[in-house]
Amino acid sequence: MSGAEDYQFLRTRHIKFLQRCLRVLPYSAVTFDTSRMTVLFFALSGLDLLDGLKEVEKTEMQHIINWIYSLQILPGDDKDQLANAGFRGGTSLASCRGHADSVSSISSFDCGHITMTYTALASLIILGDDLSRVDRKAVLAHVASLQCRDGSFFSTRGGSENDMRFMYCAATICYILQDFSAININTAVQYIINSMSYEGAMGQGIYLESHGGSSYCAIATLHLMGKLSSALSNIQKQRLVRWLVSRQDSGGLQGRPNKPPDTCYTFWIGASLKLLGGLDFLNLEALRQFVLSTQDPITGGLAKYPDSHPDGLHTYLGISGLALLGRDCLKPVDPALNISERALKHLHSLHKSSTQNSKSTKC
Amino acid sequence: MGSTEDDIDSKEAWVFYKDREYWADVTPIPQDDGPNAVVKIAYTDAFTDVYDYFRAVMASGELSERALELTGDALHMNAANYTVWQYRRKVLKHLGSNLEQELAFCREMIEMNPKNYQVWHHRRVIVGWLGDAGKELRLTEMIFNQDAKNYHAWEHRQWVLRTFNRLFDGELDYVDRLLDEDARNNSAWNQRHFAITQTTGFTPEVIEREVEYTKNAINKIVGNESPWSYLRGVVQHCDGGLNSVGDLEKWCQDMYEAGQRSPHLLTFMIDLMEDKLERDPSVRPQLLKRTLKMCESLATEHDKIRHEYWRYIERNLNHRFSA
Repeated sequence: MSGAEDYQFLRTRHIKFLQRCLRVLPYSAVTFDTSRMTVLFFALSGLDLLDGLKEVEKTEMQHIINWIYSLQILPGDDKDQLANAGFRGGTSLASCRGHADSVSSISSFDCGHITMTYTALASLIILGDDLSRVDRKAVLAHVASLQCRDGSFFSTRGGSENDMRFMYCAATICYILQDFSAININTAVQYIINSMSYEGAMGQGIYLESHGGSSYCAIATLHLMGKLSSALSNIQKQRLVRWLVSRQDSGGLQGRPNKPPDTCYTFWIGASLKLLGGLDFLNLEALRQFVLSTQDPITGGLAKYPDSHPDGLHTYLGISGLALLGRDCLKPVDPALNISERALKHLHSLHKSSTQNSKSTKC
Repeated sequence: MGSTEDDIDSKEAWVFYKDREYWADVTPIPQDDGPNAVVKIAYTDAFTDVYDYFRAVMASGELSERALELTGDALHMNAANYTVWQYRRKVLKHLGSNLEQELAFCREMIEMNPKNYQVWHHRRVIVGWLGDAGKELRLTEMIFNQDAKNYHAWEHRQWVLRTFNRLFDGELDYVDRLLDEDARNNSAWNQRHFAITQTTGFTPEVIEREVEYTKNAINKIVGNESPWSYLRGVVQHCDGGLNSVGDLEKWCQDMYEAGQRSPHLLTFMIDLMEDKLERDPSVRPQLLKRTLKMCESLATEHDKIRHEYWRYIERNLNHRFSA
């Protein structure tokens, strides 16, 4: 970074960009048709970190909460359907609205997706919901049904790839619902260890190239399971930190060696280092300048690279990455769940009151 | 995906499903986004039309040639709709369709969406059904011609090699070719490690051969992180540690004395010294001093971007090895 350019953080423009994502996306974003929930999460959590949620009206917040719940698949008393539960990412296959709150399915192919379940729950927490309408038993059955014998996870029933991404989603869901009994932690940890390549970091699976995104999913999963300190040896941790800090090239962070820096790794690599206690090993100001150079000064939003088109994912991961660095008046972010510390506090208060409730019922 | 829409628009003969006579018996099902929809997508009319009919077909469970064709149109418009892929597989199974034709369709979809998870997953399922991976290495090579680091294609290639393991012949030659073209291709270095793990394994002879191969690559471009990392990976397989093979210390020292100050070289030298410090307490006082000095030079001169990291390593080594 030459230092000649000193970028400003365009907070107001990013708020406008994310508010637009919240309402309507252009047709060019049609590949998100089955994962609108993830875009919703990026927009809401981004606004939260920008302290822009207060600009969303109360009634709109309630509408969003209702929309999220309308995408929950409710198997009712049908035990065979439990595993198909969870949340959908959109209404592509939903139809014939039975009653105002829920969308009934038109086919047995209509089932939950683990990433959508994670982002739905995270969004509800951000919005201050108490998760009381979540069918916990069904959601956990859905997560359990997606674990493979090798410890990794599928994304949905009916056939999908299985890898580290979905393991992370499983871990977040179990953490949010405070119940890890649905999954096999031992095989999951083994899968993570097997995915460590000779480079010292994790790939999506065994033998695959070390990758910033997979490494984040692995490290955050271990953290959420309470296994980060015990599952990896000190030498493994040292090598992992070395690989992670080596991803800083001249300013921004790359996902793999000899690849160009990309905004989204600000969060993936930054949060991994934060969880391992090494975030300050990076040159944070050089990193910040790279992220700011990917801002679109007209539309707002951040792109993958400088001079490219911004999108919801890179906007959010750029912002949550900057929030990790504690710069630009952003609210602090939790590196493991990727939501604000404020939202996490709300979640913890829900955990606390549910523990108290269960104690009092026992009495 | 905007271009897909253009493609469809540009086909003069494109007719909406609602105007197709042989679909007249089907009542389309519109999408119901409810009263509070957020993150809406500005669908085109053609998209809405196709998906209205797709919903109708799924709802009735129709498994037919025309349903197969419809899934093709739906996937051209959105290759990421995993449910359409799942439904398509159900139709293929039911009809007993020609799977070679399906591979051709899938190849076309992969070429258009080489970084989409669903197309590669579909490929894997169809290859599994066929029990024949004869076309797969070529397919990935075609993708590598455009992007030699495409993670999906590498994942597919590894799956093919592991599942149909007679295909490993020639894998190292292929990796050689890729590394000749671009020695910075980290994916190819990873594939090299994978191929050896799956075939000969890292025997002492193989380790020696690989160390020489990697030293050569580093001699050509010292500032290339990938072979340095591979070198560590290879040496990891010897019990004797970093200093036990290939005379690496002298090789590094020669480069250093010739004035080479690449951070990758200095980092490797620190690792060699750390290994010695660990194994031989008698050399500690002298060697520790040199090691710390090298950390210092990385922090302040040769790898300033990781200044804080090298300060930390310096403290850590000092703490572990000073009397």
